[in-house]
Amino acid sequence: MTLSIWRYAHLALALISSLFIVMASVTGVILAIDAAQENTLPFKTAGFDEVTLSQSIPVLKQKFPEITEISVDHNGFVNLKGFDDEGNEIDAYVNPKTAQILGKPIEKSSFIQWVTAFHRSLFLKETGRLIIGVVSFLLIFIALSGMALVIQRQRSVAKFFKKVVKEYFAQYYHIITGRIMLIPVLLIAISGTYLSMVHLHLLPEFKVNHQVKINSNTNAEGSAVNAELFKSVKLGDVKKIEFPFAEDPEEHYTIKLEERELVVDQFSGQVLNEVRYPGTVILEDLSLDLHTGRGNVVWAIVLAIASLNILFFVYSGFAITLKRRSTKIKNKHGLNDAEIVLLVGSENGNTLRFANAVHQQLLANGQASYLLQLNQYQVFPKAKHLLIFTSTYGLGDAPSNADKFLSLLDKYPQQQKVNFSVLGFGSHAYPDFCKFAIEVDDKLATQTWANRLLQLHTVDDKSAIQFVDWIKKWNESTEIDLATTPALYAKKPKGLRKMMVLDKSEVTDQEHTFLLTLQAPTGLRFTSGDLLAIYPSDDAKERLYSIAKINGNIQLVVKLHPNGLGSNYLNDLKIGQTFKARLVNNASFHLPKSKKVALIANGTGIAPFLGMISQNTKHTEMKLYAGFRNETSLIKKHLEFLAHHLKQQKLNDFQIAFSREQNQCYVMDLIKRDASFLAGLLKQGGVIMICGSLQMQQDVEKVLDQISLENNGINLAAYKAKGRLLTDCY
Amino acid sequence: MKSLLKIFVLGILLSAANQTLAQTSKYKCMLQMNGYTGEPAYISVSLINPKGDYEKTLYVMGKDKKWYNSLKEWFKFFNKTKNVNAKTGASVAGGDRAMVNIELNDAILDKGYKIRFETAVEDQKYYATDVEVPATTEALAGKADGSGYIKYIRFSKVQP
Repeated sequence: MTLSIWRYAHLALALISSLFIVMASVTGVILAIDAAQENTLPFKTAGFDEVTLSQSIPVLKQKFPEITEISVDHNGFVNLKGFDDEGNEIDAYVNPKTAQILGKPIEKSSFIQWVTAFHRSLFLKETGRLIIGVVSFLLIFIALSGMALVIQRQRSVAKFFKKVVKEYFAQYYHIITGRIMLIPVLLIAISGTYLSMVHLHLLPEFKVNHQVKINSNTNAEGSAVNAELFKSVKLGDVKKIEFPFAEDPEEHYTIKLEERELVVDQFSGQVLNEVRYPGTVILEDLSLDLHTGRGNVVWAIVLAIASLNILFFVYSGFAITLKRRSTKIKNKHGLNDAEIVLLVGSENGNTLRFANAVHQQLLANGQASYLLQLNQYQVFPKAKHLLIFTSTYGLGDAPSNADKFLSLLDKYPQQQKVNFSVLGFGSHAYPDFCKFAIEVDDKLATQTWANRLLQLHTVDDKSAIQFVDWIKKWNESTEIDLATTPALYAKKPKGLRKMMVLDKSEVTDQEHTFLLTLQAPTGLRFTSGDLLAIYPSDDAKERLYSIAKINGNIQLVVKLHPNGLGSNYLNDLKIGQTFKARLVNNASFHLPKSKKVALIANGTGIAPFLGMISQNTKHTEMKLYAGFRNETSLIKKHLEFLAHHLKQQKLNDFQIAFSREQNQCYVMDLIKRDASFLAGLLKQGGVIMICGSLQMQQDVEKVLDQISLENNGINLAAYKAKGRLLTDCY
Repeated sequence: MKSLLKIFVLGILLSAANQTLAQTSKYKCMLQMNGYTGEPAYISVSLINPKGDYEKTLYVMGKDKKWYNSLKEWFKFFNKTKNVNAKTGASVAGGDRAMVNIELNDAILDKGYKIRFETAVEDQKYYATDVEVPATTEALAGKADGSGYIKYIRFSKVQP
């Protein structure tokens, strides 16, 4: 709950001030670079700060008989004003040890002056100063609330700099750079606020007013230069020395140091008056140093980076906000009709995405599915299934939209028996992995109306593969089938590319399957077994096809279903036409480095294998088992292709089963026939790959399990765990 | 050889010209400001002829021309040419000391000319003659009190 307050504060403050923050940051970067640049100019004399006034002034006086003032700026440049011995006016940087002129005083370019004025007041005078002041003030709180958010996320101040889990670019670097730049940003904000207050006259203004009693008895002889004070004060401590205007007892030295000003008799060197600066003046000076980076290259560069970083914060902050808002819930059925209720506890919207993917599929399957937040829990009169998807936040706490769920559970007992299944989303990078999900699961188990359909299932780090494991369990225990392709649940990446149709075989009454060849976009890396994702409708529905890489092109084998969204879309494509799609890396179904591979397919599942065979230049020992219904024209093409590659020794053997021809043979029959070969293959470290229908996969796995147990004494699951059985079925 | 000769002749001519034009003297003026609060003051230093008209701008303190109009009387004169044919320096804050170096033709001394210091501060009063001193040898070696933002000005001739 407290988390939300910090987050809302952080966001609200940022929203209010973002526009001005952007303007101030852009100009700030320019000014910081200018400050750094200025500091590197060659007007500084090494060791000048150790030179005492009594050492330096006589040297300078010799060359410049009339000196009106000497000032030492933050860069350590010594500026002398006066006249040389020919009466020429001098205003230059000098070497205080040798009186050598080093250069003309820096005059800020009109561009820098313009940027400075804009940075201070946006060209709006007092109004602008006020806006900039308020924005600086808000920036302090943005930085502090950001710090609170990091502490909350890391669960303790001590772990402030510990590892952060990378969810996505904007989120990760917002936090990472936020932690590093916290101090510079805070200093910029505080010093900027202070300077704005000074400029707006909100602080008492201090004017030095020296009260000097004129001592008419003063002996107008001697020189202060030889006095104790001038021997002890070093140039490094001095900001400005105003020289006496004339050799008149009424005229004095005024020496301005860091913290005080002295009026000194020009003859005796006696301090006639001393004024200490109040804290406000010293703070203003410090604020200027910190805010502008004047006189310190390193700090100026840090400030430039911090300003750039603020621009990045604005960008990434809004990216995060938009991302959080993008995952919205859409329900089709009424809550009271809902048979499958999906309850979500999600902090960042990632968990919600998984729930939404399931929700959309259930709706598409005609199920009365309803998706809502855990905090909206109530009585669901027609519910049969309760699916709970929840992440855990902070110290094993509930996400902010789920923190009331446990108490609501006591308040609203369901009236009928309801199956439940809890999915916990989390990251092993944090302790208390899925702790809240465990709590929810335990508490549900104690409810009389609740029946645990599936054991608590956890998903680490948004793993779509682990999520699909749960989908498979769900599919087994209910009549409702959900898609098991991990890529479907993985985060939708951007980056659609144009694909051009190079070739397409025709669909006829006898032949419902077609071969589609696409030109791969240039520079795109892919291989057989990867997936082509197409988006046939406007609603971002995705369809995935296993592909083959043949001669550098993408080849698909597609069966046209009368109402198939994807297959109709692809079938309508004409040769030469382009469309947008993307390739999904499917590393778990690439050809392994094993020496022996058995490929098992049915129907269009042969598609990736055609590519793997074609790409088999290393002559891996490959054997293909494929099952089809009839020997159609396309199958004949496949057979020709296989025969050709057999000759090229890219394929060692292939066996084809036709289920609707005279001999009525299935893939399983081929497998059983080759039992000893396959058992041997598994034993020798070979890999079996299966692609095609889920039904076929189940049947084949059953047979393989038997074979493995009988011949090798090990069940198939053991080989599976070692990655020796790869599947891509649908 | 020829070019060397040319340079030699040119050199003589230039130094002769310099002799005739060098009938000017440099003066330094030290402005001590009152300890007022507010923005730094814009100050113009002008030479006023015996008729009481602006003859020449000697110095302007304040870099931003957009504020020049705050020095109302001088601005009328400035507006004719839009060109400050004089040295410029930074505006001067309350309590500060500023040094102004001006150059005067010796021929105008003791002829009824005056030197006028005009001051203006953002959102505060404008002084058309904060300080005015006669352009005399005596006055240009002394001290004059101000009536506005300037506390006093001390003058001194720069000895070449």
